[in-house]
Amino acid sequence: MGALPPDWGVPELTDANRAWFTSGALAVQQCGSCATLIHPPEEVCHACGSMSFGTKVLSPRGTVHSFTVVHYAANRALADSVPYTVVLVSLDDAPELRVVGNIEGPVDIGMPVVPYWEERTADDGTVVLLPQWRAASGT
Amino acid sequence: MHGAAVVVGVGESTYYKRGGAPESEFQLACSAIRNAVDDAGLTMRDIDGVVSYMERNEPVRLSAALGMGDLAWTAQTFGGGGNGAGAAVTLADAAISAGYARCVVAFRSLAQGQFGRYGQSGRARRSRGVGAFTVPYGIQTPAQICAMQTRRFMYEHGVSQDSLAEVVLASYAHAQHNPRAIRYGTPLTRDEYHASRWIAEPLHLYDCCPENDGAAAIVVTTPERARDLRREPVAIVAGAHGLEHRDGVGAFGEAHFPTAHHRHVGRQLWQRAGVKPDDIPVAQLYENFTGPVLMALTEMGFCAPGEIDDFVADGNLQWPSGRLPINTSGGNLGEAYIHGFGNVVEAVRQVRGESTCQVQGVELSLSVSGPGYAPGSAVLFGRA
Repeated sequence: MGALPPDWGVPELTDANRAWFTSGALAVQQCGSCATLIHPPEEVCHACGSMSFGTKVLSPRGTVHSFTVVHYAANRALADSVPYTVVLVSLDDAPELRVVGNIEGPVDIGMPVVPYWEERTADDGTVVLLPQWRAASGT
Repeated sequence: MHGAAVVVGVGESTYYKRGGAPESEFQLACSAIRNAVDDAGLTMRDIDGVVSYMERNEPVRLSAALGMGDLAWTAQTFGGGGNGAGAAVTLADAAISAGYARCVVAFRSLAQGQFGRYGQSGRARRSRGVGAFTVPYGIQTPAQICAMQTRRFMYEHGVSQDSLAEVVLASYAHAQHNPRAIRYGTPLTRDEYHASRWIAEPLHLYDCCPENDGAAAIVVTTPERARDLRREPVAIVAGAHGLEHRDGVGAFGEAHFPTAHHRHVGRQLWQRAGVKPDDIPVAQLYENFTGPVLMALTEMGFCAPGEIDDFVADGNLQWPSGRLPINTSGGNLGEAYIHGFGNVVEAVRQVRGESTCQVQGVELSLSVSGPGYAPGSAVLFGRA
């Protein structure tokens, strides 16, 4: 379980983000023309201008690039969730890509982490699998 | 110095804590504009242009209520939130310099009591667009975003928590001299800063700008028109505005992270003005949060990131003896958070010699807008 409510902020799925939020893998948008990896996904490739995309599954490893422990609940629906920790993870296969997630326990910049997937369900029955993070074993 | 446009009037509404204003945001805007036009010695019929950034109160309603002249120029900065404040001044400068208008009001009004609070989010059972990559994890507010930037900046450059405190302590010290300031009469100690509760680590309560109600305005015209007016004109020496490729892309997807988005702004500004950071005796740097102020100082070229602890230590940001007094009205933290337009007004006052923390012999006075958001902007004022 993540630190936030199970119905909180469920992403609306689009063609561009469906693989990321439903595959249970780090399925990053990849330009169909020049193979540039793009995250968060966009509608036009920033490297070549192409509008056709696929996805590439990256290995499930990352490094904490930054983090914050949130103590003030900016929304009252999160009042029982604070403090919660948000990490910005640089993916080991593509360090220029940064992925947001939650983590529990001690955290520091440079810490190796691995993803797991948290299921959340929206009112309309939409189910997503959110990448979340934990310390890589052996660290 | 190009000197094509000059500032001839400044004005504010009364500043209030959030929800404290007896007037509406629109009324606050009208009061600030009236005060600026009165200060200039102009009549409202002389005003033929209105510019702002992220502003709700539109020219139709303002010009009708205030009795402005026929409008020839209405424009807003495109994107960037509070980092558009300096850019709004450049929009006025551009209109005057190109001859599209003769007397332009640049202003911002913000009543977070009447409208939504920047520090709180709406209910988010669903998230969409780029927010789908942050909202599900509890990242929604500027404090949380800037906390993530600040943590990485501190890590990369060995920046201490005390350097964040220096920004806050400067604003609060300066606010004690400014009767307009909401924190006038409310000093802050370093111990109180460190003891204050966390909002989003590494940002304490006092690292975060308050939510306020108020409005601020300036009047920009030609040097020729200024000759007949009662106030000594202040030159817009140079402005700069913009972003680098992939600056500001959402969900921390920008090419350079973290950045205040002032690298490109700084390079343009110093090149246009023909001066360098060492020539600047006083600066107003928009404090949304303290960490981004330190980032903006380094990106504007005042020191290397690794030197920031030394640059700000021991009250070096404080009037009257610090090497670079910043936010001399109290700034967003101590005077009022009017989305950074109070910082613009104070930069003009420093050239006029009218600050409540007046630096002696100011020839150049800098205002840098809201760090952490893109496009960014800055504007340099000076003696006309």
